[in-house]
Amino acid sequence: MAKVLIVASSERDAGEALGAFSSAGDAAVLAYGKAAAQADAIAEYGVKVYKLDSDVVDVVFAALKKLYEVEKPSIVAGVSTKNNRDIMSRLAGLYDLPMTTEAYDVEVGEDYVRYKRGALSARAIAAEKAPLPAVVLLAPRKTKPAEKKGGGSVEELKVEVEPTVKVVGRQEKVKGGVNLEEAEIIVSVGRGFKKKEDLKLAFELAELLGAQIGCSRPIAADLKWLSEDHWVGLSGKKVAPKLYIAIGISGAPQHIAGITDSKIIVAINKDKSAQIFKHADYGVVADLYQFIPVLIKKLKERMGRA
Amino acid sequence: MGDIVVLVKAALNPETIRSKPDGTVDIDAMSLKISDIDRNAVEEASRLKSILGGKVYSITILTWGPVAKRSKDLKMAVQEALAKGVDEAYILADDEIVPGDPVTTASAIVGIIKKEGLNPDLILAGEATIDGFTGQIAGRVAAKLGLPYVSFARKIEVKDGKIVAERDLEDYLETVEAPLPAVVSVTREINQPRPPTLLQIRRASKKPQKTLKAADVEGLVKPKRVIEELRVVAVKRKQIIIEGDTLEEIADKLIDYLVKEGVLQL
Repeated sequence: MAKVLIVASSERDAGEALGAFSSAGDAAVLAYGKAAAQADAIAEYGVKVYKLDSDVVDVVFAALKKLYEVEKPSIVAGVSTKNNRDIMSRLAGLYDLPMTTEAYDVEVGEDYVRYKRGALSARAIAAEKAPLPAVVLLAPRKTKPAEKKGGGSVEELKVEVEPTVKVVGRQEKVKGGVNLEEAEIIVSVGRGFKKKEDLKLAFELAELLGAQIGCSRPIAADLKWLSEDHWVGLSGKKVAPKLYIAIGISGAPQHIAGITDSKIIVAINKDKSAQIFKHADYGVVADLYQFIPVLIKKLKERMGRA
Repeated sequence: MGDIVVLVKAALNPETIRSKPDGTVDIDAMSLKISDIDRNAVEEASRLKSILGGKVYSITILTWGPVAKRSKDLKMAVQEALAKGVDEAYILADDEIVPGDPVTTASAIVGIIKKEGLNPDLILAGEATIDGFTGQIAGRVAAKLGLPYVSFARKIEVKDGKIVAERDLEDYLETVEAPLPAVVSVTREINQPRPPTLLQIRRASKKPQKTLKAADVEGLVKPKRVIEELRVVAVKRKQIIIEGDTLEEIADKLIDYLVKEGVLQL
């Protein structure tokens, strides 16, 4: 049986990683950051939990290194969060372990692990195999969490280490109160909008449809017209709504990579050669400033709200 | 003193994806280009060069073969880095280590740094590359060299022999301070790389480049992971462009389609 060490900063992440690997063998969990306070709840999965009350990556890495040497696991796993990528890539480097991120459909054999993952900006799916020991970071929310069976235990970890990289400040990100991953309909805006005030056209459409507002990279990252939780794409959110309406979005590969799981995609753009039309089910070649008001008017009529 | 090493990948360009009749990716038909976020790393390296006062070296490990077929794309990627401020380029291209594995790439980078006696204050890399996007090379290199690691930096300042960086995490920004030498991975938001000018491109071709073989590098770890299959995602979009004499007519047709698809309830 393989020995599995899970590294998690939330109960949900720990549950998913245990779900993916619970049949592989004995599992222990290193619970750091927010998960430290949830250690008892994580122990209910019937596993040993090492509780580490820190979310400074240098400290977590030192703890992981120590645990790795004691436990000698054949799989080190977790969910692909940024801090997990940081910590795990260092562990993989130190011991020359194979490592992957964003994995799903995991299968553990006697001396190997198989998994799938998106590649080439989500345009391809790779099926890969790596020898054990290996590091496997999972794609978030693609694996069913394990079931809690009780009977675990918690041990507090004390790591006496002065971090080399010191945390000197933290600033919460501004949130626009959206939850795009769960949205059924998304109205998404791009550079086709000339001014921030003009976004109200999209807001009105979204309100009418009960949709959430998404955006392309420039709107959040460069122009900062919307907070980053609206950002759809490879570096932003990956979304899977029933209906995705892209307004004034040209369709850069990084944006497309975030919307491929949408059921129906509508594109509205005045440039008929825009890439977005190749990735859309329904396209309207028109100036958004003229078309969106007409669409709103028609929707209102047909909803009996005119 | 004050040198910078920047990691530059000639990555498979996802936009050139082709499918074989059996639905798998025709990797040989795809081209390579400099990975997008490595452009940001190069831009940042050339900005910090003036502060640190040293040279910028780039290291490129070819991970997609065969070497003979890839050499032109590889050259283009390295030329772009040279044009954007890299002073000297190191390249490892060997059919023995393709297709690559991050475990191999990291060991090759460390091997080249040691063999060539590079002693950088800063090693910069993009947070991930556009083909694999596993984002692990910088962390591996840091651990192998025993250097401090700062990941997902969207801002870097150098002062008094240390760096202050802003890490861009999911829910918060974290400001960290690290002594030099250090390894830093950067995000796309750190700067806006501009394409090189003609003059920069012309100068680039005169800059030193050194191409190495696997046998030249000590401590090289053979690829471990195997890509068993690479399949094109078959999302068939309908690609219907809605036509009409007036915008009203187009809007009506669009609404009809969406109702019929069951994604809109009136």
